Amino acid sequence: MNIFKRKKKIIKVPIVTEEERAKPVRCKSCGRLISYAELKKNLKVCPYCGYHFRMTAGERINLIADEDTFSEIDTEVKAVDMLNFKDVVTYKNRIKQAKERTGLDSAAVTGKAKIGGFDAAIGTFAFEFIGGSLGSATGEKITRLIEYAKKRELPLVIVFSSGGERIQEGIYSLMQVAKIIYAIDSFKESGGLFISILTNPTYCGTATIAMAGNVVIAEKGASISISGPRLAKQVAKKNILPKLEQAESLIENGLLDIVVDRHLLKSTIVRLLKYYNRRRI
Amino acid sequence: MVKLLSFEKSLKPLYEELKEKRKNAQSTDYIEEKIAETLKKIYSNLTPYDIVQIARHPDRPHTTDYINALFTDFLELHGDRKFGDDPAIIAGIGYFNGKVTGVIGHRKGRNLKENLRYNFGMAEPEGYRKALRVAHLISERFKAPIITLLDTPGASPTIGAEERGQAEAIAYNLQELFNIPTPIVAIVIGEGGSGGALGIGIADKLLMLKYSIYSVISPEGCASILWRDASKAKEAANALKLTANDLYKLHIVDKIIEEPAGGAHRHREEVIQAVGKEAQKALNTLSRLSKKKLLEKRKEKFINIGVYNE
Ligand SMILES: [Zn+2]
Repeated sequence: MNIFKRKKKIIKVPIVTEEERAKPVRCKSCGRLISYAELKKNLKVCPYCGYHFRMTAGERINLIADEDTFSEIDTEVKAVDMLNFKDVVTYKNRIKQAKERTGLDSAAVTGKAKIGGFDAAIGTFAFEFIGGSLGSATGEKITRLIEYAKKRELPLVIVFSSGGERIQEGIYSLMQVAKIIYAIDSFKESGGLFISILTNPTYCGTATIAMAGNVVIAEKGASISISGPRLAKQVAKKNILPKLEQAESLIENGLLDIVVDRHLLKSTIVRLLKYYNRRRI
Repeated sequence: MVKLLSFEKSLKPLYEELKEKRKNAQSTDYIEEKIAETLKKIYSNLTPYDIVQIARHPDRPHTTDYINALFTDFLELHGDRKFGDDPAIIAGIGYFNGKVTGVIGHRKGRNLKENLRYNFGMAEPEGYRKALRVAHLISERFKAPIITLLDTPGASPTIGAEERGQAEAIAYNLQELFNIPTPIVAIVIGEGGSGGALGIGIADKLLMLKYSIYSVISPEGCASILWRDASKAKEAANALKLTANDLYKLHIVDKIIEEPAGGAHRHREEVIQAVGKEAQKALNTLSRLSKKKLLEKRKEKFINIGVYNE
C-alpha cells in the first residue's frame, strides 16, 4: 500500500448550470424563495430562518481551509464494485454516474490544509457522491488521512455528511466502521486531537465514527442517528417532536460538545486548534 | 412439530404421516428416512433468503442454549454501572472445557413474551456498555479469553436508544475491544445484524455457523431503501452476499461451522457441540500468541478490509 503519497489537486466544486444559478431556491424549512447568489453568499444558510442547506465537499473544504492552502492526498483511491451488486440499477452505473456528476472518485475528499493558520489534516464526506455513503474506497481514504495525521502529528478535522454505510458493498462497508474506529483510536492514543464535525445528515455507521471524536461538534439542525433515515421517517410519521434526533436535542442528552451555526464553524475549529497548539508538552 | 419454513412446505405431509404413525405406535423408520432424504435435497439447494429464514428460526439454538450446554458454573453479571441492565445482552464468566472463560452474547427469546422482554435481541446502549464492562473485567482481572455469540437483527432503533447514545456506545465498544488483552473469538450463531452485531463483534477470529448471516443491513431494509419495495428482500439477500459461504470467500470469516441438513433447529445438540469444538480450537491457536502479537494481528485483520482501485 502506498499510504503516504501526496498529490496536489484542485478540488472540483460540482458545476452549477447557468439555469440553476438563475433559478431561486426554495427553503426547505420556511418555504421562502432565495436567489442562488444570496444563498451562496450566506454560506448556504437560509437568510430568513437559518436553515442549513447541504454543502458539497468542495464547498466544505473552502469553508474551513484557509484560501489556497488545501492539498489533496490519496486521489488515486477509487470506488469499485466488488460484489457485482445490482438493485434497480447496477452499482457500477451508480459509481459511473456519481463520478461524472461530481468529478470525485469516492465519497471522501482528504488532504492537508491550514485552518486559521494552523496546519491540519482535513477530510470531508461528499454527500453528492452516492449519499456520502461509506464504501471501501471512502473508508480507505479516511483511514489513510488519520494515519497521515498521526505520522505528521497534525490535528485531525473530519466533516461528516453521510447516509451511512454503502449498502452496495455489503459487509465490506460495515467493516470500514471498525477499521476507521481503530485508526482513530490509535491516533488519539498517540496524543492527537480529532475534531469531529457532524452535518446534515450523519447516519448509521458514520454516526458511530463521528462519535469517536475528542471534540464533537454538530451544525445547527443536523439530523444525527445511528438507526438512520428509517427512524427519521418513523419519527416524521408519528409527528412527535421532529427535532428529537437533531443536534439541538442530542446536545441536551449530553452527546455533543457544541452545536454551532455554520457562520461560526470555522472560528470554533480555529479556537480549538489554538488551544491545542499552546498545549504544554 | 418443528415450524416449517416456506421452502420446506413439501415436508408437511411427511411430518403429518410421522405424527400419525407415532400415534398408532407403528414403525417410523421409513418415514423418518424419507424426511431426512427430503431435507438433504432441500438443504443442498438453499437460496440466500432461505438461509436468512433459517438464521431467524425461533427454535434455533440461542446464546443461552450455548451457555447452558458448553459452560459450567456460569455466573451472569449484570448492569452497565451507568444507567441500567439490558436483558438483550447476556454477559458473564464460567468454565469452558474446564478453563475460566468469559462469554458475551445477544439474547433472543423463544416466544413473544420472552422476545418482548429481550427486545428481540436488539440491544440498547446499556447492553453494549455492559458488554464492554464485563469484557474488561474478564480479560484484565481474570486474565481469561472471551467468546462472543452474535445473534441480533440490529441495535435497538428507538429514539430512547439514540438519546442515551447508541452511536457513542457502539463506537466506544469498537475502540476498546481492539485493546482487550486476551483472545476474543466471535461466532455468528444466527443473525449478524449490522452495527448491532459488530458492537460486540471485534475479535481475533470470526466463526460463522453455516446457516447464519452477517450483513450491513437486513435484506428487508436493503430492499426498501434500494428497490423502494420491501417485497424485494429475496433479491436483496442475493445481492448483499450475507451467507457464511459468501463471507468466507470475501475473507471476512475465518471458519464456517457446518450444520447438518435441516439446520441447527433440528440438530440442536450436535450443532451446539460443534460450536464448542470450533471455539476451543480457535482459542487454542490464539493462546499461543503473545499479548502484543495478539493485539497487532487483531488490528491488522480489520485495517486490511476493503476493496478499491488504486
Ligand atoms: Zn428558510
